[in-house]
Amino acid sequence: MTTVELAASVVDELRAICGHDYVFTGKSARFNRARVPAPFPVHRWEDHVPQAVVLPQSAEQVSEVVKLANRHRIPVVPRAGGTGLTDGAVPLRHGIMVDVKLMNRILELDLQDRTVTVQPGINMLKLNEELKKHGVIYPDNPASYPCSLVGGRIGTSGWSLIGARYGHTRDLVVSFQIVLPTGELIEVGDGGGRKVRKSSTGYQLKHLFMGHQGTLGIVTEATLELVPRPEAEFSAFFSYPDYMTAWHSTGALAKSGIATLAGVVIFDERKLDYLRRDDEAYIPQPPEVKAVVATAMYGNADEVRAGAKRLLEIGLETGGSYLGDEISQGDWASRHDRYATPQHGRTRSGQVALMSWHCEDASIPWTALPRVREEWHAIADRLIERFEMFDDWGMFAYTNGAYKPWADYLTEIDIGIWEMRWDEESWAAWVEAKRDIAEVAIRHGGSISACHGACREGEVDLVPLELGGGFEVMKKIKRALDPLNIMNPGKYLLDQAYEEES
Amino acid sequence: MGDGTAAATAGQSTLQPEFLAEWRNAAYNCYSSGHKFCREVCPVMQVTRDEAHTPTAFHANVVAMEKGHLAIEDVARDYVHCTQCGACELRCPNTLFTGDFYRFRQRTVDLVTAMRTLAVESGIEQPRWKEWNELTERYRSEPVLDGTPVTQDTVAAWAAGLDLPVGGETILFCDCEAAFSRTSLPRAAARVLQHVGIEFGLMREQWCCGGPAAEMGYADQARRFAEHNVADWRSVGAKRILVLDPHDYITLTEHYPRYFGEEFDFEIVLVVELVAELVREGKLELTSPVERVVTYHDACRLNKRKGIYKAPREILAAIPGLTFKDVDHVTQWSYCSGAGAGFAIERPEIAAEIARRRVEKAAELEIDMLVSACVWSERPLGAQGSSRERPIEVVDLMELVAQAAGLEVER
Repeated sequence: MTTVELAASVVDELRAICGHDYVFTGKSARFNRARVPAPFPVHRWEDHVPQAVVLPQSAEQVSEVVKLANRHRIPVVPRAGGTGLTDGAVPLRHGIMVDVKLMNRILELDLQDRTVTVQPGINMLKLNEELKKHGVIYPDNPASYPCSLVGGRIGTSGWSLIGARYGHTRDLVVSFQIVLPTGELIEVGDGGGRKVRKSSTGYQLKHLFMGHQGTLGIVTEATLELVPRPEAEFSAFFSYPDYMTAWHSTGALAKSGIATLAGVVIFDERKLDYLRRDDEAYIPQPPEVKAVVATAMYGNADEVRAGAKRLLEIGLETGGSYLGDEISQGDWASRHDRYATPQHGRTRSGQVALMSWHCEDASIPWTALPRVREEWHAIADRLIERFEMFDDWGMFAYTNGAYKPWADYLTEIDIGIWEMRWDEESWAAWVEAKRDIAEVAIRHGGSISACHGACREGEVDLVPLELGGGFEVMKKIKRALDPLNIMNPGKYLLDQAYEEES
Repeated sequence: MGDGTAAATAGQSTLQPEFLAEWRNAAYNCYSSGHKFCREVCPVMQVTRDEAHTPTAFHANVVAMEKGHLAIEDVARDYVHCTQCGACELRCPNTLFTGDFYRFRQRTVDLVTAMRTLAVESGIEQPRWKEWNELTERYRSEPVLDGTPVTQDTVAAWAAGLDLPVGGETILFCDCEAAFSRTSLPRAAARVLQHVGIEFGLMREQWCCGGPAAEMGYADQARRFAEHNVADWRSVGAKRILVLDPHDYITLTEHYPRYFGEEFDFEIVLVVELVAELVREGKLELTSPVERVVTYHDACRLNKRKGIYKAPREILAAIPGLTFKDVDHVTQWSYCSGAGAGFAIERPEIAAEIARRRVEKAAELEIDMLVSACVWSERPLGAQGSSRERPIEVVDLMELVAQAAGLEVER
């Protein structure tokens, strides 16, 4: 598909709204905003290039851009960090990309009612550098913590590594301001007050605008939860002789009721094999170690100390061996950086190949984890059998509930992909595999995605199956709020909303 | 690796096989990694927030160019947006976690230089860089005095009255900014070295090190300047070169060995490290109290490019009277003065904002003096410091050392 240039008059209008220096039509600006770290059809790069990029600095500018897009019927795609894994920020119909990175100011810090209000382009690590001076933090901590931005976290309804203690993005964003698909600016939260955590007034709209992947508007301000900066962190890693022992142990740890527990993560055998591929790997463990469980807790020192004692007892009683302070503390500290390294990619014959890491994530009930693990690896094996460009990097499962870590798990299978090898055949096989992976998740009572969203090719086909009548409501909402299908068209099969109308 | 060769031949400005041989692997490593952890430590990106100014884009462009989507003329201007501070390389998981085993690290700084060089070779020049390098070619020094000629007649004027010989086994190499603009620094350093009895001389004819030209893509000019300087050193029998400026230190320890190979047998000594050693061994006593509240600005090229962050702190700790409010060197990965790699020449407003933010960080510590060990940082940081309601003085570490050693300082 060739990109059609925007009319010069439209570009002029954009410049009048955002300022001359904040509207880009050059090729480099557009090609470099066509992809995210998810597997990208590099052979079809041009299909995803926006026609123009704007870097607004205010909510009013965003609103004016969206109104302009409605007048001219031009698609709008919002982009924050561009670090998401379900292509929310990847244009499917070109259009105007609204890149919010320059909207990265802290607007208000309220230490009494415990909120910080920010623009959507701010990064959590940078935000916390400022907050920690005041003894508080904003504890939204995804794998992309050093680079993802608040706006994208809302757009994907993100998941936090320490969500079992502090909640996930939907719990931590108290309220926000959003430009609707027709350009109006509204505030949504639990009720009216920006800093209210619980209200029963009217519909609870905050969740509607969480995880919409840019299909329902553009967040322009957000009021975020502040928590005391924890006095203490404790992490413990355990090893196990087999997956099932580790799985039982994970369940026991997650159900322990320890209030400071921030997360429990299980690594399966193929994940350990992957991590053993080089001598810097975090786990220099003997071959008899077949599974690992990681735990972390945060809080006041006296609470963490007591909780840690209980946690170690449970880990050991359920068959785990403590892996020592160095691995426990060191690996947890480097959790954002460590698991995705292109050079760890291997072809079937063991050759090093530069592979992208792709995490296929789902919410899976604890009881179903062993079955899902087997089925997912089988899907990966079939892919690898057909194409040298795929590699199985093993599985993690993380406690998924906010504040109460039992029940379902963010379950991921990581597939290494040698992306320079993409062609139509391998891409089609990959899309099919994604669909299969999603089908397994739904069949076992889970959800297609716990943290990324589910609007990529393949998995998206099963969203109606997962949501049932809920998907029909989604379409009605989309059509009502975005009558001209301006916001991120093509995502989440929402074009169907308009087909039915005509 | 890859299957882009066929597509590349269809591209607008095809990347040459030699370029691809050097950079394809690195580009795919970054493209495939997709972490983007480099962004929030990048001093330029922190200000512009422009995704085209990120190391991610700098590497992805190679992939896109090989596929024929982009040409050098599409991206040349983007590569201006880098101070070559090196923060992105340090923050890259590829470097952090696979560097040793696979003998690989992202070399974004070198890639930026390679692209800038390709641009110049392709006839795409940035106007201010073009003028800057033409003037440097004419005067043999960088035009650091805003129009006032920086001639060979005055290149050693900073040393007036210090009674320094020309030539000898040890040569003090004084960079352009220090030689013409901040002369208090080389004078202070020379006095310190004389004070402890280190014998050294000046060059017969000192030219710019050539580093800035290399960084801006003017490879031939850089090489010619290097050849001149090396010939000058050889003509006086020099064996050891003392370096004041971190930028020169990069040029002399990285560029020159690349140009001359094993023939390049000079010992390159960073004066900051030498002074730290002298203090450690008790050969330089710092006894005059300096009653100031200071913090230290980690020079990017020392801290991020060379891993030199202990020596300056050792020196500061030895100065009596000083209240030293330190900020650790890892936090300072995301700091910069904006002065490096020609960036401030082409994008002065962004560079000034980078400097303003750096000084703002210092101000939060409630200090009255910001100490740097990089002369190029001192002008932009000083401008920001002096324009504050409560001014912050910016001084060079060597100026402070001279003061603490009871020597004359003319800042």
